[in-house]
Amino acid sequence: MPSASDRSVFRRDNALFALCVVLSLVMLARPDWGGRVTGLIRGSVLRPFLSIQEWAESSRTARASLDELRSERDSAVHAAQFLHSLRAENERLRALLGLGQRLSTGFIPADVLHQALPTDGRTLLLSAGARDGVRQFDVVVAPAGLVGVVQTVGAGQSIAMTWAHPEFRASAFAQPGDVFGIVAPAVELAGTEHLLQLRGVAIRDSLPAGTLVLTSGLGGVFPPGIPVGTVIGPVTEETGWELVYLLRPAAYPGIGGQVLILRAGAPAGVPDAFTPERAP
Amino acid sequence: MSAPRDRGRLWAVLALLVVLHFALRPRLGAPQIAPDFLLLALMLYAIRSRPGSAALAGFIVGLVGDAMVPARLGAGALAHTVVGYLASWGRAVFFPDNLFVNGVAIAVGAWARNAIQLLASGGGTGGLMVQLFVYAPLQALLTAVTGAVALVVFQRWLDIRLET
Repeated sequence: MPSASDRSVFRRDNALFALCVVLSLVMLARPDWGGRVTGLIRGSVLRPFLSIQEWAESSRTARASLDELRSERDSAVHAAQFLHSLRAENERLRALLGLGQRLSTGFIPADVLHQALPTDGRTLLLSAGARDGVRQFDVVVAPAGLVGVVQTVGAGQSIAMTWAHPEFRASAFAQPGDVFGIVAPAVELAGTEHLLQLRGVAIRDSLPAGTLVLTSGLGGVFPPGIPVGTVIGPVTEETGWELVYLLRPAAYPGIGGQVLILRAGAPAGVPDAFTPERAP
Repeated sequence: MSAPRDRGRLWAVLALLVVLHFALRPRLGAPQIAPDFLLLALMLYAIRSRPGSAALAGFIVGLVGDAMVPARLGAGALAHTVVGYLASWGRAVFFPDNLFVNGVAIAVGAWARNAIQLLASGGGTGGLMVQLFVYAPLQALLTAVTGAVALVVFQRWLDIRLET
């Protein structure tokens, strides 16, 4: 039988556990309270560690660039023997040139500081913050398309809410531009990959598989013309007056290492930047 | 060996794991399955501490995680608190000083953390199954292997007599 002092220690352990669980539940219920605390942690205790991670990310990128350069050099030597191959390779590389060169609007490049938690990808920690000119609701894109929107801005880092976040919504249209809807993450427990849904499509409209869906610009947060995804097909359950289509996302936030943050207020050149034929 | 010196060595190993989490992990690539050094540090601390301290340590590690990935604030804190508390109880009840059992405990802890956090985050967005049954087990396995290496390398510092 445990002694009185043992029982007292057990009680203390259980009380500490219960307190931590209650505090966690309070944060789940009131994210605004927790937001202040986590903001303070990011700006103080975590700052040196995030700097280390930024350095690690950039040195990994530099190593990858060196490997890429070496393979490009080897490819160039090989391709020089075949002019047609060289030309094709040149065209492909031109097409792959950074989105940044095509963007006439202002942007801020940022590294994605991926974390070990399973919810990484719903939000992303970015290596650019207020010091670099990032502001809340700036749009985050990858060369393939839309990634998300900046939710919280710190001095040196910012947090982006991606399209995989359950609360993400964006107004979108399907090319050529006669079908509009709202894009949201697909809710399906048995799914094997993150997909999107285009909701609110009128019953009379139909979209063939492969149709490109782009942001419409309605709402004022996302500039028009950013690729969001391509239509896979209609969701089997029709919900009354609307059709819901499943989309394959254009860009996956859990994978990419670099993104561009579009500065708000100058969205004019965005649609052209994502049009392949306008590549230099 | 004196208790303060033991404690100092434990904290040195934990500090090393924290630094590795930020300096080494990004270089490994594949962020969804790369070993989680912070969780490993929590598990190493939890299996040597009282359940209350382990729960508090878990809450702090979870809060730090929530600061970096605030998809659903509180989910990380809850998941790490539960895992820290149970790991400490598990050690008191049945964990022998066996490398394999320690590895399995770390793997189960890593998977349980991911499962609790995903379920507490809610949303039911696509990819939950692949997260739970593909990425989470792979990350748990890699974290366990890393943990086993850490236990072998630092067993004298951690004052553990491992049976193999």
